[in-house]
Formats: sequence, structure tokens, C-alpha cells
Amino acid sequence: MKQFQTILSFELKNFFKNKIFVGTTLFIVAVLAVVMFLPNLLDFFGSLGGDDGDSTEQSILLVSAPSQELSQTIVQAFSAAFPDYDVTLTQDTTDEIKQQVSSEEAECAFVFDSLTSYTYYVMNRSLYDQTTQIANQVLVGLAQVEAMTQQGLTPQQAGDILSLQIDGKEELLGVDQAQNYWYTYIMILALYMVIMLYGQMVASHVATEKSSRAMELLITSASPVNMMFGKVLASCIAGFVQLTVIFGSALLFYQLNQGSWGGNSMMTSLFDMPPSLLVFMLVFFVLGFLLYAFLYGAIGSTATKLEDINTSVMPLTMLFVIAFCVVMFGLASGSVDNIVMLVCSFIPFTSPIAMFTRIAMSTVPPYQIALSIGLLAVSVVGVGVLSAKIYRVGVLLYGTPPKLSAILHAVWHA
Amino acid sequence: MILELRNIEKSFGEKQVLQGISLKAEGGQAFGLLGRNGAGKTTTIRILMDVFPPNRGEILLDGRPIDYHKVSLGYLPEERGLYPKKPIGQQLVYFAQLKGMKHSEAVTATRRWLERLGMGEYEKKRLDTLSKGNQQKIQLITALAHNPDIIVLDEPFSGLDPVNAGLLKDVVKEQIQQGKIVLFSSHQMNYIEEFCQNIAILNQGKIAISGNLEHIKRSYPRDRLTIFSPQYQEILSHLGSRCQLIQPGELLLHLDRPDQKQEVMGNLVTHYDIDRVQVYEPSLNDIFVEYAGDHV
Repeated sequence: MKQFQTILSFELKNFFKNKIFVGTTLFIVAVLAVVMFLPNLLDFFGSLGGDDGDSTEQSILLVSAPSQELSQTIVQAFSAAFPDYDVTLTQDTTDEIKQQVSSEEAECAFVFDSLTSYTYYVMNRSLYDQTTQIANQVLVGLAQVEAMTQQGLTPQQAGDILSLQIDGKEELLGVDQAQNYWYTYIMILALYMVIMLYGQMVASHVATEKSSRAMELLITSASPVNMMFGKVLASCIAGFVQLTVIFGSALLFYQLNQGSWGGNSMMTSLFDMPPSLLVFMLVFFVLGFLLYAFLYGAIGSTATKLEDINTSVMPLTMLFVIAFCVVMFGLASGSVDNIVMLVCSFIPFTSPIAMFTRIAMSTVPPYQIALSIGLLAVSVVGVGVLSAKIYRVGVLLYGTPPKLSAILHAVWHA
Repeated sequence: MILELRNIEKSFGEKQVLQGISLKAEGGQAFGLLGRNGAGKTTTIRILMDVFPPNRGEILLDGRPIDYHKVSLGYLPEERGLYPKKPIGQQLVYFAQLKGMKHSEAVTATRRWLERLGMGEYEKKRLDTLSKGNQQKIQLITALAHNPDIIVLDEPFSGLDPVNAGLLKDVVKEQIQQGKIVLFSSHQMNYIEEFCQNIAILNQGKIAISGNLEHIKRSYPRDRLTIFSPQYQEILSHLGSRCQLIQPGELLLHLDRPDQKQEVMGNLVTHYDIDRVQVYEPSLNDIFVEYAGDHV
């Protein structure tokens, strides 16, 4: 136990004294800070620029109509529909109007032939320009009111008919996928990246010890089980600390700027994660991480040179990438309970992300969750012991990386 | 303290690497483990270090199966290597702690050894900033800092300059005087002859010969004479095929029987100008070539 603690603290120190590890974490935190403070920063700089006089100048929207009465109706309706524009009535000719739009004196112009027929003039049409759609809605409304008044209804009655509201209530019995989508997406991505990065880090640490021949001394000084578990747990803790720092600071920055982000539904849903889901996240993170890190460590022990690592870990990495793709497709399509996801949520190599996605995005029976976690936990213990055995055999093998069958044969006979 | 390996056998797959190795090493003495590359020395050492168990056989300390929780071993592997990018002091303390020392003890012990080997100023430096010889001294500290009962040194002198080799010799002698069991594995026969009373020569996984080095040397029939003479050519032509030229001025004479040596020596001194004549004793090198060669 003492030996295990010595290894764990040595490996942890390696992480926390590593300039790249600390630097990357701080960089991500700094980027998050900038993003989270962005609305406040923009307001701050905006107010610096415009504090002499009125608020920002409004763009001009020109309206030209054949009759005085129609002009009044349209200008009144447009002023309400386009609060960002200064809706101005004009008597100018079409050419003059075009000239004003071209010279950007006015942003755009509507030249009406009748209430239901107009020409829209604009200089450069933005990708997101919805002016005509809004105008059409307004005009349809006006035309409908006019038609109804001609049929004998008062404008008040026509208005009431058109603004009829449906009183629909919604009661959510399971989970709201729209609400959970973003944090599930981010959590899965974080889980995937941490397992990938740290798994490969474990593999390359083991291979470095082997290639620098420090291993010769290590295997005669400590038991392989302690070495493997110490190394893997240290990277698990380091990964967890890094995630906690990143997500914790994101949450903190969000709290500080909540007012500015108030209206953003994505941000609100992102930071409104139920605590139970956080617990599941933690469970699947730890178990999934350990499962893969043990295997990465075992693979690292069979490589003689650091260059061999990339090819040796490829099958394991591919397995995880496929699992990730399956889950991401399921998540994007919204059908997280399809048969593939169901199967994946019980296979230990895919269950950490598949089952977590199902829990977050659907309603999973408790026995399925228990079974999935149980299978995963048993696999972690099994894979841990097997990896320590492979490690014990692997670290003494030099030369060409051995075949899987040869390693298992050696482990069996060791 | 007596360390005994009895009938150790070890196979890797189909290949039987050790085929019944037995040897005995005593405290206060150095034991030389010799053999050509691939003879099974490293496997024997790894079994002794409990890296993997033997298929058969046992390791006894003072007649009882060795208990690795109670006895401490120090190892200087032939393949040197530590953490190149880490500060020297930090990794020395780590290895001493792995061997069961408390942190404070480990710090004191590694500092003492760094001073002893003239490396005190390098404690905070990275290992890869040191020369090969100095790195080797650091590696030696990992084998000795935790004050082990049994010390295994695999090619301890390779890569050391004469001054550092002298320093290491003093350290090894000191450890032997403290009553520790020191196991030497080396191809540098002069060091083995200097330190080791007992040796074992491994050949293809078997002990080809083992025992007290002096006794082994004396066990050779004393039926050869080494003759040093300026008249070596005349002696050679007179004695014919029984005489063999070793180098100009030095001859090896084969006798029919050991008891002829007094008479032959007398004749030689009477008839020729003889600088020196003595009974031939094989060097460890000769014994090694004889027993570790392929013909055994």
C-alpha cells in the first residue's frame, strides 16, 4: 500500500509539475473567461464608444405608396414590426429611391403598387435578411383585416379573430431532449477527449520508461500491479482535476455573467444540469477512464520504442472512435434508444458514453443502468488485473512489438 | 548470511533458459556470475530479484525460503537507465522510497551517497545533463541508497574512467566489509579476479563450473610449466612438440607427469639462461574460455 502511494504521488507530481499540463489548463480557463465575459465586454466597449449623445443611429427604411391612406397604414404597421428601423414615408420617384439605397442613405425601401404588391430595394442582401418575410406577414394581416371589414366586420372584430391565441399546456414526464442536448453533447465530447488524451499519455509514459530503461530498475523495485494502478489512477485524478477546473471555472464565469447571458437558451440549458446527471457523469467518467487507461498502459508496455506506440494503440483508439461515432449519430438523430445504442450501452467499451447519453436524453429503466454500471465495474477490475499481467510480461520484451496472441500466451504461462 | 539458489529452472515458451541452476553466495564475500551473452545470467538475476518466479527450484536465505518483505535487494542493471528529464535528487528519493524507505530517510541517504561519490552539486540537475560515467554513478546510488542486504551489480565497471573505477572499487569493498552479499556479473575478468572468492560460469542455462576461484585454479593438473627465457628459441627447438611458444621470451612446456616438474626445472636452469620458471596456473580468462565456449 505504501509503495502504491509512493508511485501515485510521484506520478501525480509529474502531472502537476508539467508545464504543458498546467499551461494548457490555464489557457482553456482563460479562453472560457473571455467567452463568458464577452457580452459584458461588448457592452463595456459599446458604451465607451457611444456615450456622447443619443443611442446608435437607426437605419432608414423608406416606404412609398400610391395613396395617402395606404401610406399611413403601412408606416404605422411597419414602425411596430421593425423597431430597429426609422420607417420614413417618401414621395420621391423610384429612381430617386434607388439612388438613396445605392448611396446607403437608406438601408432599404418598399415601393408599393397596392397593399398586396410591392418592390423591395436593398443594396446588399444579408444572409439572414428577414425583412421581406416580416413585411409579408404584416401585409397579409393588414389585407385580411381590410377584407374582413369589407365583409361587414368592425376592425376590432377582425383584429380579435386574427389574434386568436391557443392555450396549449405541456407537461414533461421524461426528459426534454432539446433542453439536455447541449450539455450531453459537451459532456460526451469531454469524456471522449479526456479518455483519448490521457489514455495515450499513459501508454507513452509506460513506453518512455521502457525505452529509457528506467523500467529495468522499476520492475525490480515495485510490483507491476502497484505500478500499473498507481500510474493509471494518477492520470485519472489528473484528468478529473483538469475537467473540474475547466468546468468549474466555466460555471463560475457563467454565474458572474448570468445577467448578460440571461436570454441565451443554449447557455441556460448548458449550465442547468441536474445533479443526478452529474453523479452519473462522474461514475461513467471514472469507470470508462480506468477501463481504457489500463488497456493503454498494457499496450504501452509492449512497445519497445516510443515510435511504436502510435501503431500499437490504433486498434483500441479505433474502437473508441467507433463507439463515439455511434453515440454521436444517435444523439444527433434524437433516437438514443435504438437497438444499436441499447446494445452499446451494455458493452463495457462503449457503455460509458452510450449509457450516459441514454440517461441524459431519454428515460432508462433503473435495472438497465445498474446492469450497465455493474458490467463496466466488473470489466474494469478484470481488465486492470489482466493489464498488470500484460505489463509484467510486456516490459521485459524488447524488439518488435509482439502479437496479441503471443502476449496472452506469455501472460497465461507467466 | 548465505544466499542459495537451488535447481532453478525457467522456460519462456518452448525455450528452456535455465536448466537447474544452483549456486551459493555468502555474506562478506563477492560472488562472480559469469557467462557469455545469452547464457542465462540476466534471467537468473531477475528470478533472484523476484521479477518473475522460476518454474522449478527455490531461493534460500540462511536455509529458509527467501522472504522479499524482510530482505532488501539492490540492483544495478546492465541496461542503465533512469528518468532522463527529471531532477536527480527527486528520482533517487523515489527509488529509495519504492524500496521501503521513509521520505526523510530517503532524502538523507541519497544526499549522503551523492556527497560520497562527489556528485552533491548535481542533486537538482536533470539526469540527461550528466556525462555517461556520472549517470552511472547516479544509477549506482539507486542500488545502494536503501542499504540493501544483497547487492547485484551487472557490469558495474563498464564506461567508468580509472578514477571513477577506483572510487567504485572502494565502495564495493566497503559493502563487502559490511558483511553484505555482493553478486557480480561482468565480462571484465580482472575485476572478478580482484573481488570474487567464488564464481559460477553459466553456459546455455547450466552451471558449467562453480566454486572457490583459487580451488578451481588449483584443480587444473599441475603438469605445465611457464618458462621465461631469452634463449626461448633454443629451448623450443630442443624440446620440440612438447613446448609451445606463447610469445617471444615465453614458452609453455607440457610435462608427461606432474611429478616431473622438479627435475625438468633443475635441467632447464642448469642448461639455459632462465629468467623465471613456474607451474602454469590458468587465468580466469582461460577458465572462462574453456567453460563458457560452445564445446561444453
